[in-house]
Amino acid sequence: MAVTRETAAAVRDVEQYKYGFVTDIESDKAPKGLSEDIIRFISAKKNEPEWMLEWRLKAYNYWLTLADEEPTWAKLHFPKIDYQASYYYAAPKREKLASLDEVDPKLLETYKKLGIPLLEQQMLAGVAVDAVFDSVSVATTYKKKLEEMGVIFMPISEALHKHPELVKKYLGSVVPYSDNFYATLNCAVFTDGSFVYIPKGLRCPMELSTYFRINEKNTGQFERTLIIADEGSYVSYLEGCTAPQRDENQLHAAVVELIALDDAEIKYSTVQNWYPGDADGKGGIFNFVTKRGACRGKNSKIMWTQVETGSAITWKYPSCILQGDNSVGEFYSVAITNNRQQADTGTKMIHLGKGTRSKIISKGISAGRAENTYRGLVRIGAKADKARNYTQCDSLLIGDKCGAHTVPYIESRNPTAQTEHEAATSKISDDQLFYCLQRGMTQEEAVSLIVNGFCKEVLQTLPMEFAVEAQKLVGISLEGSVG
Amino acid sequence: MKPSLIIDHSFGEAYAKRLGVAPWRGNLPGPKLEEWRFTPLRSLAKIAFTPATDDVSVDAVPRAVPLIAGAVRLVLVNGAYRKDLSSADPGKGVELSHGKVAAKDGSSLVALNAAYAPSSLALHVAGAAKKIVHIVSISAAGSEPTALHPRITVTAEAGSSVTLVESHVGLPGETYFSNPVASITVGEGATVRRYVSVDEDSAAFHLATSLVKVAGGGTYEAFHLGLGGALTRQEIRVALTGENANVRLNGAYALSGASHHDFTTVMDHIVPNCASSQVFKGVVDGESHGVYQGRIHVARDAQKTDARQVHKALFLARGPAIDCKPELEIYADDVQCAHGAATGEIDPDHLFYLAARGIDAETARSLLVEGFLADAVNEISAEPVREQFAADIARWLKARQ
Repeated sequence: MAVTRETAAAVRDVEQYKYGFVTDIESDKAPKGLSEDIIRFISAKKNEPEWMLEWRLKAYNYWLTLADEEPTWAKLHFPKIDYQASYYYAAPKREKLASLDEVDPKLLETYKKLGIPLLEQQMLAGVAVDAVFDSVSVATTYKKKLEEMGVIFMPISEALHKHPELVKKYLGSVVPYSDNFYATLNCAVFTDGSFVYIPKGLRCPMELSTYFRINEKNTGQFERTLIIADEGSYVSYLEGCTAPQRDENQLHAAVVELIALDDAEIKYSTVQNWYPGDADGKGGIFNFVTKRGACRGKNSKIMWTQVETGSAITWKYPSCILQGDNSVGEFYSVAITNNRQQADTGTKMIHLGKGTRSKIISKGISAGRAENTYRGLVRIGAKADKARNYTQCDSLLIGDKCGAHTVPYIESRNPTAQTEHEAATSKISDDQLFYCLQRGMTQEEAVSLIVNGFCKEVLQTLPMEFAVEAQKLVGISLEGSVG
Repeated sequence: MKPSLIIDHSFGEAYAKRLGVAPWRGNLPGPKLEEWRFTPLRSLAKIAFTPATDDVSVDAVPRAVPLIAGAVRLVLVNGAYRKDLSSADPGKGVELSHGKVAAKDGSSLVALNAAYAPSSLALHVAGAAKKIVHIVSISAAGSEPTALHPRITVTAEAGSSVTLVESHVGLPGETYFSNPVASITVGEGATVRRYVSVDEDSAAFHLATSLVKVAGGGTYEAFHLGLGGALTRQEIRVALTGENANVRLNGAYALSGASHHDFTTVMDHIVPNCASSQVFKGVVDGESHGVYQGRIHVARDAQKTDARQVHKALFLARGPAIDCKPELEIYADDVQCAHGAATGEIDPDHLFYLAARGIDAETARSLLVEGFLADAVNEISAEPVREQFAADIARWLKARQ
């Protein structure tokens, strides 16, 4: 038991947040608070078409009716959010940039600290980066090469002007404006995000990636991402997040919509490492994200992989609507909570088409005084003949002050469908530790090895670039965790 | 708790007046309550029930109720004890009494029961009871929709042991709503075995709550069988309050027609070194709806807990629905907790195997269903009861052919 206690004690004071710094760049800010005027302001700033403004206002007016409907079902405790105390628009001063050389040097410095050498991206073959700094995209690389192939990869604000027909057709088609409290808010006030369209039959030759970073103090981030994979195409999209350290809680409510048409495949990977707050639970990001993919076409596939280590509050359920016959949804998740972090995360697999298959692998690790909940839904519609689901949720507890919870929902309406769910909760066994120590490893190495092994099934689904970062993150959260 | 409730129920002023007691001011649980999301009570709330009175003439126990060999029989009609229909002597070690029902906190259904239960059938177990105690609860509506609130209290003293069987059945007639509550206290080192069978009329409502407390070193073994009723729910809440308590809670349901059956269990591990296991199995046919939601809660102090839970359900047709929510809520680190859940239909390979051996399709299906449910039924350690429950399932299978 001594080992466990030491581990627990050490995990508690782990991890000085290494990305905790604030870049001092002048911001172009809208006044604090939320009103119709602010929404008009955001829309005007972006020079949006009329229909977009109307959509935003429709969402806003609907959101006003939801005042008492802020979701409370998740196992999360946080003070009531004052939505009028936040800024809903903040953009770095200089917007239009002809080349990377014009990017604010301070901004580049920030990225460097984050380990994203933007200027070197061109040499780092295979990764094009659309960096969103606060709410406006400031630099987009590799655009040209992708353009030549017919791939559209640009900020959604730009896509609204250049490809309005695509945006109009698909925006809100997976997550409608009335979906839930946070998604509705996002519809009203989203500032920017990524737009991706992969044309028919194209296998996108490089991994597309966006680094988000919340910077401006008190700015809620409301990104909106829309990815469309046309028939027979393939794309792998990476999303990574870090945020500077500060004391006030920051609100974040993103919406991600994926659409896979016939035979298309989308792989969406996230490493989330936002500021989790300090050891006493002060500060940290409130992360309420709605992510959903629609497998519209036959044989289409959507795969979500997430490594969640940051944020004070995580409320996130990347889901798949399996409409097309024989479509496939997969969800791989590692959620690590430490100190006073709280995570309520999982997925929804909605089987509608025949022969649809889904797989859920979730690994929750809880340390310190954290709460970690897996919450997932598997729904088999009456027409989903021969649908198949397999779910596995494992939890690991480090220390006796944390909690690990599993709340799966299984709703089956089709006799020919098969669902399977298994879940187990345990701690790092003394036998495993002993075995490693006996072979000359330090306790720290041993714990790291065991935890990495515990997460392996998920980590190995990440693209190479991310797998390295993710493994490091798992390592960091356990650094110094033993004596 | 969020007050999302059905307000227009029929258990207020007029109902209380006919019973001559103070009216119940509570509300029935509504669909927005998480624990009731799979079992909405809209259809129940639409019916104006009158209180069950004891002037219904029931002069015999329905023949469908099995006679369990060597058991003493205690009969309740509409919740009231009927000495004339019961065996004279409950046997050595068991004392029978009737008391006022104490108002208990808990769910609104328990409060509803406390407000209107005529009296409580109380069993006090002091030593090792030789005979099985068979409680038969008969619902008899007569010509009006009737609600009844049976209450059973079992107190097993330290070191005592008893085996209980409960049969819940209804007489033909108008629809009825049975709202039974059982409070079971298992003393230190005591053993209570409890086997409940719910086989209500196909138009009936049955929402049962069992509140169980198991003290240190105590053993509680239970099996719940659900065979019918328009809307049936068996909610079982078990608290393990002393170290080395051991709970085995199992159940099975077999549903046809438009039956809805809900098993809701809460296993509350409060202290260290306790073990609990749950095996629930179900088969659904026709347009029926099977629900299992089970929560295992392990408190911060409950180290070395071993808690397991399995639910498996089998579709016998196109049309039924299965909803399942096995839940783990764990606050202690040195524990072994696991749950599993699966749904599907009979494996065609298994059918083929039996067909290849000359067994016709219907017999083969029956065999496989019986075998499937046997995993749960075989957990019953009292042999005559196990045989009886297996026979009840066989009868159900035969009736659907």
